[in-house]
Amino acid sequence: MPTTKQRILESAMHLFNQYGVANVRLQQIADETGISVGNLAYHFKNKEAIVTGVYDVLFEAFSEILSSYLQAPNLADLDAQLSQYYQFFAQHRFYLTDLFEMERHYPQVFEKWRGLVSRMLLQIGRRLDYYVKRGVLKPEPSPGIYDALANNLWMIITFWIPQQMLKGGSIDEQVFKDAIWMQLNPYLTARGHDELAAISTPSNML
Amino acid sequence: MKAYFDIHPEAYKVMLDGINNLMLTERCAPPDDLAFIKDNLWLSDSAVIEHIYPLKGQWEVRLLFAHVYNPLQFLCRRIHAYACPRKAATHAGYMRRVAAKDQRGTLAVKIETLKLPPN
Repeated sequence: MPTTKQRILESAMHLFNQYGVANVRLQQIADETGISVGNLAYHFKNKEAIVTGVYDVLFEAFSEILSSYLQAPNLADLDAQLSQYYQFFAQHRFYLTDLFEMERHYPQVFEKWRGLVSRMLLQIGRRLDYYVKRGVLKPEPSPGIYDALANNLWMIITFWIPQQMLKGGSIDEQVFKDAIWMQLNPYLTARGHDELAAISTPSNML
Repeated sequence: MKAYFDIHPEAYKVMLDGINNLMLTERCAPPDDLAFIKDNLWLSDSAVIEHIYPLKGQWEVRLLFAHVYNPLQFLCRRIHAYACPRKAATHAGYMRRVAAKDQRGTLAVKIETLKLPPN
């Protein structure tokens, strides 16, 4: 059974996703949780404390995803991590929509995000190195190509949902994963293609 | 805000390289790495014969493993060397009994199995 504190954070997260961090008032969070504003103030003294609490939950979830790095040697490991990233960004859309708002009002939180995101980027780059060593990815055609590829993959993972929202496209996990695998596809070796075929992939890539 | 474990990007890079190497070194061996077990299965149907051989002033004990159905498939291994021939003979007997599948020595190589031509 979730504690009142957890329920407040869940409600806040839900409202942040719906209206954006700046547009949500304490009264709304209290109503959503089903408690009084006084009770809410007992658990969190102000909105900043709630925002920080929500981001604490987010950081923990994000660190969990980062720690799932290379639990298996094959491409299915990346596929599993992509699913986790998708779930994360789909559930916490306000993270991106309010990104620059956060920089202005909560610089500490923003700084923390920056650290986690740079770790994510590093991880993608190192993963590509590993796949080259394993022989599922072709050797780097020319210096810097895989750094650029890692950066592109990071951009897609992070900003895929907002750009789909902007275009009015469907927000679907398989479409998201396809976008990533399409980027990697030209660099895969025959062994890489075999491994990719073994995991759930779009029909046009098989 | 909660205090989080943080790591310097350079240290994180080194750590990721370590994980990459770990995944490369601790992978499954190719199946033919253990082929010698399969290849040596015939040894379980072999007769063990001790062989004591004088070499460099000592009595060397060798065990000869010969396949009972195909005696031309055999393996000879040096086990130990003794200064005394009686001691070598005693130990060779023990070694043979330990190495043989049947301690009573019912598995034996017969001359007929060699299928030698009469001429």
